[in-house]
Amino acid sequence: MLEAAAEKKGQELSGRVPGRGATAERVYAQERRAARSLHGLALLFFCALAVFAAIARAAGDSFFLRLATEALIFGGLAVSADILLGFAGLLSLGQALYFGLGAYASALVMKDVLPSFWLALAASAGTGLLAGLLGGLIASRVRGVYFALITFGLAQVVAKVIYNTRELGASDGIIGIPIIQVPVGFATVEANSPAGFFLVVLVAAMLLYAALSFLAGTPFGRLLAALRINQSRLPFLGWPAGPIKLAAFVTAAAIASVAGGLYPMLRGFVSPELMYFEMSTNAIIAAVIGGTGTLIGPLLGAVLLVFGKSVIGTFTEYHQIVIGALFMAAVLFFPRGLAGVVKAQFGGPKKDAV
Amino acid sequence: MEYIQFVLAPQMLNGLSFGVSVILMALGLTIIFGLLDVINMAHGEFYAIGAYTGFVLLGAGFSFWAVIALVPISMLPLGYAVQRLLIRRAFNSGDRHTLSLLLTLGLSMVVADLLRMGFGPNTVRPETPVKGGLELLGIFLPAYRATLIALGAAIIAAVYLLVYRTSLGAMIRAAAYDRNMAASLGVPVERVYSATFAFGVALAGLSGVLLSPVFSVFPTMGHDFLVLAFTVVIVGGLGSIKGAVLAGLLLTQIQAVSSLFISPVWSDPIVFGIMVLVLMLRPQGLFGKIGYA
Repeated sequence: MLEAAAEKKGQELSGRVPGRGATAERVYAQERRAARSLHGLALLFFCALAVFAAIARAAGDSFFLRLATEALIFGGLAVSADILLGFAGLLSLGQALYFGLGAYASALVMKDVLPSFWLALAASAGTGLLAGLLGGLIASRVRGVYFALITFGLAQVVAKVIYNTRELGASDGIIGIPIIQVPVGFATVEANSPAGFFLVVLVAAMLLYAALSFLAGTPFGRLLAALRINQSRLPFLGWPAGPIKLAAFVTAAAIASVAGGLYPMLRGFVSPELMYFEMSTNAIIAAVIGGTGTLIGPLLGAVLLVFGKSVIGTFTEYHQIVIGALFMAAVLFFPRGLAGVVKAQFGGPKKDAV
Repeated sequence: MEYIQFVLAPQMLNGLSFGVSVILMALGLTIIFGLLDVINMAHGEFYAIGAYTGFVLLGAGFSFWAVIALVPISMLPLGYAVQRLLIRRAFNSGDRHTLSLLLTLGLSMVVADLLRMGFGPNTVRPETPVKGGLELLGIFLPAYRATLIALGAAIIAAVYLLVYRTSLGAMIRAAAYDRNMAASLGVPVERVYSATFAFGVALAGLSGVLLSPVFSVFPTMGHDFLVLAFTVVIVGGLGSIKGAVLAGLLLTQIQAVSSLFISPVWSDPIVFGIMVLVLMLRPQGLFGKIGYA
């Protein structure tokens, strides 16, 4: 008992206890197991979605395919919230801001400049980087609850300004976005083809997962974990906390923005609602239900949330009551989320060993 | 001179009446944070509950003065129950801030939809209880706004006195400052926590009922208001009563006066910009914490 506590403390301090050289290796081995179990879950998840797409396509469905596409797009937003919450330990209540900005950028490019898939996404990414840099310069100066409140306020204020800007369509948003062709190397997919565009988004989600899984293992990923576990100790190890936080913020904003850029391709319109608080909270809810810090969890959570809402919505228009109550229950009794449970079950001892 | 009499002064008085309501709301938030370390995202919904309760009671024939007394009293058990059943569960976890924030977030979703279910999505507006207007040094002011200012100021003063000048307040501050020491001196810490949360919730409800004749009542009425109240709390310093009062007055005056010169659309960004500036120059806000102030 005491030994375990001492070991844990030793890991925290140096990742290696003097005279117990095997400890670090054991931790790494366990982490690898945990990561493998998550990759397995991810593979299962993506395969299940591909099978779903095949069945839906064969059945001639378009509603559920479009819903699933939307769910994955929101999943991108949830992943971006999770980079901050699950990796860097920063709760953002305004992640939808970057999603919405990306959606507006993409919509404007497609409508007024050139209906090109890559140009629109590049515009979204650029907007996300820039806005993330600006927002991050403000938000990365603070931590804890201040961070949550700053991101909350920032999103609220910008959404209100856009809501009141006639050039951006004010409360109506931007409608009449042309249907674009998505070049996928050997062929092109029409954005209004339900199955085709679903596959495009699915591949994007897989690439996102792969890229972020890789990133989590790099020194940068380690620094984010360090930021979450003990921010005050970082500077003593020679790493300034501010720039790391900023980098995490910009990364998350860019991801949210690109996900937002896909939205008008699917739905053909954007509106200020995309930046509203409800969107930001949905991202957090998806991440918490799916499992924070697992990358696949937020995607899973977003799919569950969107479909759950759709199902509950057929019974009652007050689905927020159910979602809110489930969310509270998840926070209280199930804080690791679905993917977190899988990680704990198949990824070695239950002890959190980051 | 005429400009001051007919434009500037009325605008500032309007800002003042708005300001005291914001301060009431912010006081609840800041007390709950200062004592319990809880960011109450459902505060806006408690504000809405207060407004709806007031609306129902007014409809049932109670006088406005009775309603002002009844609403906060009826909010107390609600707040007490929420703290006991929800907040307390997150209280002993390592990540208390995030957890309690997420919990109250879920609660706010549930309550907002319950209100929508009970009262419909449309706006209702109670009649202005104090009619007419009064003239002060040639400045016209609707009587209700004047009542609001006077009442609000009295309540703010009462809260301040309660927290800093009574033995109950000393207990509250002691529990905030050092939980274990307070407990060993015989302060019933758990009960103080619940009671304080209930007190903050009652203040939100009171703010809701006072503002309902001015801004009307709808299920999501608390949302925008909450942003402003949080801004006030942050600028004043989380947990500081003095800070909330001064920041509330300052920010609402800036809003009121600036909207004379530029479009009111920009008043939110201006206030937010001030918050960002304060956070950069003085991250702890203008004043400290409740136990230390």
